[in-house]
Amino acid sequence: MNFLNKAPGFYFIVMMCCIGLYRCHDTIDSPGVADVDLTHIPYQPIPYLPDIPTGFPALEQPVDNPMTIDGIRLGRKLFYDPILSIDSTISCSSCHQQPKSFTDQLDFSPGVSGNTHRSSISLLNVAFQYHGFFWDGRAATLELQALQPIENVIEMGESWENVETKLRRNSGYQSDFRKAFGIESASMINRDLATKAISQFERTIISGGNTRYDRFVRGEIFLNDNETNGYLMFFNVDPVLPDAQCGHCHTAPLFGTTDYFNNGLQESADLEGFADKGLGAITGKASDNGKFKTPTLRNLVFTAPYMHDGRFTTIQQVVEHYTSGGKFSPNKSAFLNNLHLTESQKSDLISFILTLTDSSVLTNPAYKNPF
Amino acid sequence: MKIQALCLSVLLLIGLNSCKKDTGGTLTLHFKAFYDGQSLRMFDTKPFTNPEQVQFTHLSFMVSDLQLLDQSAKVNLKDVELVDLSFDDANSADGGYTITIDNLPAKSYSGLSFGIGVPADMNSKKPADYPSSSPLSNSSYYWVAWDSFIFMKTEGRIDTIGNGSFDTGFAFHTGTDNLYRIVMANIPILIEDGKNKNIDIDLDYKKVLDGIDIKSNPQNHNPKDSLQIKVLVQNLSNALTLVQ
Repeated sequence: MNFLNKAPGFYFIVMMCCIGLYRCHDTIDSPGVADVDLTHIPYQPIPYLPDIPTGFPALEQPVDNPMTIDGIRLGRKLFYDPILSIDSTISCSSCHQQPKSFTDQLDFSPGVSGNTHRSSISLLNVAFQYHGFFWDGRAATLELQALQPIENVIEMGESWENVETKLRRNSGYQSDFRKAFGIESASMINRDLATKAISQFERTIISGGNTRYDRFVRGEIFLNDNETNGYLMFFNVDPVLPDAQCGHCHTAPLFGTTDYFNNGLQESADLEGFADKGLGAITGKASDNGKFKTPTLRNLVFTAPYMHDGRFTTIQQVVEHYTSGGKFSPNKSAFLNNLHLTESQKSDLISFILTLTDSSVLTNPAYKNPF
Repeated sequence: MKIQALCLSVLLLIGLNSCKKDTGGTLTLHFKAFYDGQSLRMFDTKPFTNPEQVQFTHLSFMVSDLQLLDQSAKVNLKDVELVDLSFDDANSADGGYTITIDNLPAKSYSGLSFGIGVPADMNSKKPADYPSSSPLSNSSYYWVAWDSFIFMKTEGRIDTIGNGSFDTGFAFHTGTDNLYRIVMANIPILIEDGKNKNIDIDLDYKKVLDGIDIKSNPQNHNPKDSLQIKVLVQNLSNALTLVQ
């Protein structure tokens, strides 16, 4: 029997069944419009006590977002859940992948509708940053940072209204949000709590203490000759060896700062000639044009390509750029001049930078995809 | 009747006294950057040793132990503050970096003092030891090789042949305990109830760089540069002016 020859009534029944099935699917996790009381689910928050590496700053948790075991658990789920994007293809973890030290190892990160115009920045030790997020510092706090990619047309392309609806309908998230924040009903799930949870998880991504550098600082090991030479140049400790100028911006122990610098990537005769104005586009100050946040050098070996636009594919290229002095612009960092380092000295510098490698963070089960 | 009148008088006095609001006075300090007597903006071209010219890109320093002096005691105003004079526009440069202290006891003080840099007890710690709200938490102001906070940053670019090409960067920083300097001005400062007292503290960077050979040694972070750092610190006393 030819399917197309069915009577119109048959198609009507099929269509109604489809609608019914769709509605059944819609209500698998929740009653949809009606609110859901969550007070029967226990709310017993247990504070999370982070393990801070020796010499690191104290982890200052926001007063309105203290870390809890359940908050972190929820944040980890949200971090890995593509439900946050419009077509359920992109999650936070798409651009911040654990095996790649929480980058995506791409020059420009792909989103739901094309590529962004910046390379994803590592989340390592983001807990210790308090003054600006993204390469251009456009988010004041980690919580505000987590708010933005959802509604970025290129990145996730979703609206927070839709995300909130999706989360409120999901019985698993209803329970998770109740346990994390003590909300009384599903309707209380909102973007504020979602970004708080994501931030709590991101603050657990701490790396330090396991590297050769950290063990050297604690007096447990010696660096080899190449690493030692690199260290002396990195921090300009030795009167004989040249200053590699690294330690001004990549300061210990995090090997980044919350400051912004023009690191000589874009040539410009004046302060207005930058193709990507970076911090200047946010502050509106011409002197901030061409400046970008200093990323950490910890786990650099896993985070290629480098710079905000991923223009350098190897650490050697990065060192070459800095030792050559970079391209001219009026606000180029005063530390960028031709350093005249020998090939051997450049190699030693890289040897030292590689002492900042902590591969344990790439496989730490606490950071893995929970799904 | 007399007792009633006495009680009434006492109550009236108490009432009047409670109405009196002793708010104290306000002291406003304006730190300003100058170059050869002219207000200094970043990226302004300024003559240096002929034919050299300089453009400044960053000027800042730590002020610590800010105190009003009294004949009998000192009034602590602030433990530490990062004074950033890196202003791009004329209005901001003219206004300078402002520190305001309210509710000061009204009286005549005998002077003002502050340190440029941080004293040894603060300098014995590291940025990680300070909360993020403190300027000392900024690791950009700590130099590992010196085991010290950076007390003062003077950065810019130099045109070494006077052709308008500012192709060499310079960065002069100071630090270490022995180069912490306390600045003291013994001048009468009258703080009055409900009034603001303005004091300008001007720093002339031409005088700061007096005797410095930027072209030959545009940076001073290496241990062998200690003499150059001392010159910069010694120049401070000549470069600072206090204006009421």
